[in-house]
Amino acid sequence: MKLQDIGIRTYVGLFILFVYLPIILMIVLSTNNSGAISFPYQGFTTKWYNAVPTGYEYGSYISAYYDWAFWQAFQNTVYVAFMAAIMTTIIVTCVAMALRHRILGRNALFYIILLGFLVPGVALGLGNNILFKIMNWQFTWWIAAMLDTVYAVPFGLILMMARFDPDLVLYERAASVLRASPMNVFRRVTLPLIRWEVVSAAIFGFVLAWGELIRTSFVASGTGVIATYINTQLAINPITPKWYAVGAIITGISIIALVIMGWVLSRGQKK
Amino acid sequence: MSQASVTTPSQKTSGFRIGGVSSYALLVPGLVVSIIFMLLPLAIMTVVSFYTTAPSSTGFLPIFTIQNYIDFFTAPNTPSLLLNTFSLALVASIICFCFGFPLAYFLTFRIKSPSFKNYVITLLIVPFLIDSSIRTVAWIAILGKGGIVNYALLATGIIHTPIAALLFSRNTLYVIWLQTYIIFMEFPIYLAMNRIDPDLIWAAKVLRAPPHRVLYDIVFKLSLPGIICGFVFVFVSTLGDYVTPGLWAGGIQTMGLSIAMYSDNFLWPYASVVSTMLLIISVAVLFICFKLVDIKKLVYE
Repeated sequence: MKLQDIGIRTYVGLFILFVYLPIILMIVLSTNNSGAISFPYQGFTTKWYNAVPTGYEYGSYISAYYDWAFWQAFQNTVYVAFMAAIMTTIIVTCVAMALRHRILGRNALFYIILLGFLVPGVALGLGNNILFKIMNWQFTWWIAAMLDTVYAVPFGLILMMARFDPDLVLYERAASVLRASPMNVFRRVTLPLIRWEVVSAAIFGFVLAWGELIRTSFVASGTGVIATYINTQLAINPITPKWYAVGAIITGISIIALVIMGWVLSRGQKK
Repeated sequence: MSQASVTTPSQKTSGFRIGGVSSYALLVPGLVVSIIFMLLPLAIMTVVSFYTTAPSSTGFLPIFTIQNYIDFFTAPNTPSLLLNTFSLALVASIICFCFGFPLAYFLTFRIKSPSFKNYVITLLIVPFLIDSSIRTVAWIAILGKGGIVNYALLATGIIHTPIAALLFSRNTLYVIWLQTYIIFMEFPIYLAMNRIDPDLIWAAKVLRAPPHRVLYDIVFKLSLPGIICGFVFVFVSTLGDYVTPGLWAGGIQTMGLSIAMYSDNFLWPYASVVSTMLLIISVAVLFICFKLVDIKKLVYE
């Protein structure tokens, strides 16, 4: 058993290293003093993060801090991600509450919601694009947030329902038997018991909307979301370590949000 | 006070009111969003695939035709398109399974504290959330001519010129997809393994079953719902990913890529045709999967 144990621990450790290798290299190389994006490493510098532009740079050579287009996209992304998080939380909480009971159409609804992330992103993006062109509606960021919500709700739902206390229904019934009004039952019994799951569903919605490229690329407008901005920029500009700097910033925020979510989930588990 | 008889949830009557609001009303937001932003666009997209291309304001006219489909099925590169997309997704799913199963096993059976489990799970989610573009660019630093693999190989003298083939081939796609979608494979398997009664494993060991029998007969077979689930998730996700093959496949055409190309040129009917085909394949695979496996068991009783 000892040998097996060592074997599997090595495997998992190596695998996590493999999975994180691009991120680590990205952060390391974003401080590279050369214009190329690969080794050899030519000295530490933060110029890709905050060098003051002299007015001649374009695209790939403006440092991350001074690239106004990037910050515009960043602002859009934060906006979209927040809206997606709020919508996801509301929908996930309502649906998770309702799906606990045997109502008519329970299975059908579960499958429909699950389709939100199982359908290929290109199909959904294309469909939404055509829909809004036909209806002649403007592309606002609400639409992108809705697409991300449709994508995140199944995740949040499974996350939430897999962690439901099986006695939750009993507590609710106990409270209503003791003559609490339904609203009070929800506010004082149910919500405190599931609050950590609700928060983690919100964070998950935020993080998923933060990184989503394929679905948003069909409904983006203007500078776009960070993901689409980088995609279009990389298609027309040479690749420099500046994009690693940009990626490091974005990944840093995702990691912080996820660490918070991990902490929240572990709080939820200590009953 | 006499003891009230407590009915278990499975004997519950339907339509319980939560917070004063009936269960049916609670489903309305989810249903509305799903219909407007998911079912409706997909339906319209299928309908548009039957329209003719024309230089109108929307790029097509509502004249019913099946010419688009005929063009699609008789085009010379369609068989290779379908084959490529399908085979790429299939192999990627198998590779993800091979790497993901031990990971899920480790997570379920070898970690004792729940908070550490949560941290490892979130640790694995992070790479999925980096943008597609940044992630693929970062792989240049690993697999490219000046990348770390070539650098290490050159430095130790195993090869004398950098290998260029590491980057623009199918294997690159598999490596990138492995890193991206491993969480899709690992999480359902982990959920399924979590539900395995540990007493079963203990009973098998007491009855002196060899470890590989325990692994295969109990762990593998009982986590099969999760395995099929994860397999299908990865399969469908890689079917629709067009960014990664676009950058790194070295010219292999996939369906997602042709959809993107047609969209960029505003040829909506053609894009809709390919997209509808993709949708049909995905839904067929999902349908088979859900018939084989009761995914609801993973989530509620």
